[in-house]
Amino acid sequence: MDNLIISNIRQRPIRSLVSVIGVALGVALVMLFTGLAHGMSNDLQRRSQNVRAEIMFTRPGTMDNLTSSTLNLSTKYVERLQAVDGVEAAVPIGLYVFQGGAGFGFEQLEGVDWPVFSKMNNIQLEDGRAPEAADEVVIDYIKAHNENRKVGDPITLLGNKPYRIVGIFSPESGSRTKMTLSAMQDLLEAPGKCTYILVKAKEGVSEQALAERIDKELPGNKVQFTRDVFTSIESRIPFLGVFLKVLVGLAAVVSALVVMLAMYTTITERTREIGILKAMGASRGYIIGVIEKEAILISALGLVLGFAVAMLGGLLIHRRYNLIFEYSWSWAAAAAAIGLLGGAIGALYPAVRAANLDAVSALSYE
Amino acid sequence: MRTILQAENLEKVYRVGRVDVPALRGVSLEVQEGEFVAIMGPSGCGKSTLLHLMGGLLTPTSGRIIIDGEDLTAASDAKRTDIRRRKIGFVFQRFNLFPTLTAEGNLRLAESIHNRNGKDDPERRREVLRLLRLEDKMHHKPLELSGGEQQRVALARAVVTRPAIILADEPTGNLDTENSAIVLNMFQELNYRFNQTIVMITHNPEAAAMCKRIVQMRDGQIVEPAQNVRM
Ligand SMILES: Nc1ncnc2c1ncn2[C@@H]1O[C@H](COP(=O)(O)OP(=O)(O)OP(=O)(O)O)[C@@H](O)[C@H]1O
Ligand SMILES: [Mg+2]
Repeated sequence: MDNLIISNIRQRPIRSLVSVIGVALGVALVMLFTGLAHGMSNDLQRRSQNVRAEIMFTRPGTMDNLTSSTLNLSTKYVERLQAVDGVEAAVPIGLYVFQGGAGFGFEQLEGVDWPVFSKMNNIQLEDGRAPEAADEVVIDYIKAHNENRKVGDPITLLGNKPYRIVGIFSPESGSRTKMTLSAMQDLLEAPGKCTYILVKAKEGVSEQALAERIDKELPGNKVQFTRDVFTSIESRIPFLGVFLKVLVGLAAVVSALVVMLAMYTTITERTREIGILKAMGASRGYIIGVIEKEAILISALGLVLGFAVAMLGGLLIHRRYNLIFEYSWSWAAAAAAIGLLGGAIGALYPAVRAANLDAVSALSYE
Repeated sequence: MRTILQAENLEKVYRVGRVDVPALRGVSLEVQEGEFVAIMGPSGCGKSTLLHLMGGLLTPTSGRIIIDGEDLTAASDAKRTDIRRRKIGFVFQRFNLFPTLTAEGNLRLAESIHNRNGKDDPERRREVLRLLRLEDKMHHKPLELSGGEQQRVALARAVVTRPAIILADEPTGNLDTENSAIVLNMFQELNYRFNQTIVMITHNPEAAAMCKRIVQMRDGQIVEPAQNVRM
């Protein structure tokens, strides 16, 4: 009887293939989207781990999400922060986020005062020197490697502005491309401004206490811990979690519908065979089982194909657009459950219908 | 002798819209173990209806059917299916076989439905195949077999699970004379070698003549037994 299932699948190779692809698309979609969300989030988080400062000082409303930012904080706060008891260093950062050069995703550009920034975060130049002129940038070693760039190369930022790479730094920290803060201020026509100020506490000073002190001495601003800002990027992108869940739900519905349609046409086509099964004494459970097994086998094939497509697709997209995919076992398990359950549930209606067919009229069906 | 099939006063009324179509009007029939019974009669007289009732594919409007000691009419739908699985082998006029399976696959499917524990009986399979001279056709799919061969495979599939009774509805109705004769011979062989009980509907008097008993029907009734030919 396993024979019957496999021979049925082989009997209509195109239909089987289409159903397999339908399930595979649902699974691949789930894997790619969740993989992308995780990959990008983890990537930002990894980079932020090399930010040594404990506290981030901003204007209220700034940095609520990472896709928008402006230079709206006066750099005069740097001195005032340095005057707060327990502050070792305060470093202003300009952050500009723009549409990625490859067309989707977003890219970050930071304007920093290189000597203080690199000292605070312990960042080294592997090659070249620090940016000085307004058209000079440094990039991190990962970007240099991924995009095959080296010191002296031209680079286009913000769509069409030409820059020149003068240094390569490591480890990765914040944005992968950095210019001088004054260059960014000129670029954005915001002299004397930055986006946020990184504050590093002195050895032995509690960050909690320091944050409270800063809040008291410089009221009306936002004092956040760096770890809070960067830990849950996913939760900072509005509705990302909801979006992913909706996506997964839709994928499940698509899988179920594809399998349902395939099995529905199958039982219509095999009405007479179902009549014969009944004449041979096959129970309702047996008939439901035959159809469900076929659907689950199709779904399992779709699952394997879907995983393969997700892996390959992720790799190709990574190569082409430099987006990062990280697949998690929990989402893979969810995708597997969706593929299999979707198939099984989709096949249920056709299966029950087949089991309920009247034997005599099924036998006279041609 | 053991009574394999006992039908008492069967009535069957089909309902078509608001009209009642009486197909059987009180049919009683007994079949003993090892009998080979032909049912004859004009088209529409209720032969197929009777066969479907005896196999539990339909329920009678009234009356009783006992198969090998088990009451079909008192049974639930699931129970009737189970009796069919254990006791009955059907052969229809055509399209009996699963087209995607080979002849052997068809037989194995029957065995897997019959023996829920997954046990099969290769000895029995070989014996049946030898008797029906199908040994070299086992790996053919139905479309690669002639009409006569297909009916032989259908017969082999029906008999391989050792049913108490074989119910055949015009098994040679679609075959030419030559193939009809071959298939009928096989029915006779099975009846003779295995003492297989068979009830067969046929329009062909020559086919009926090979049977041990002929039951004539007309208008939903069995014509007086006195008119039946006994051999
Ligand atoms: N499902 C049904 N619904 C309504 N009437 C039916 C149904 N099946 C059979 N009948 C009617 O019941 C009567 C007996 O039909 P049945 O099929 O038993 O005849 P038959 O003797 O097998 O005929 P044939 O030799 O043509 O196969 C016929 O009048 C037929 O029209
Ligand atoms: Mg008939």
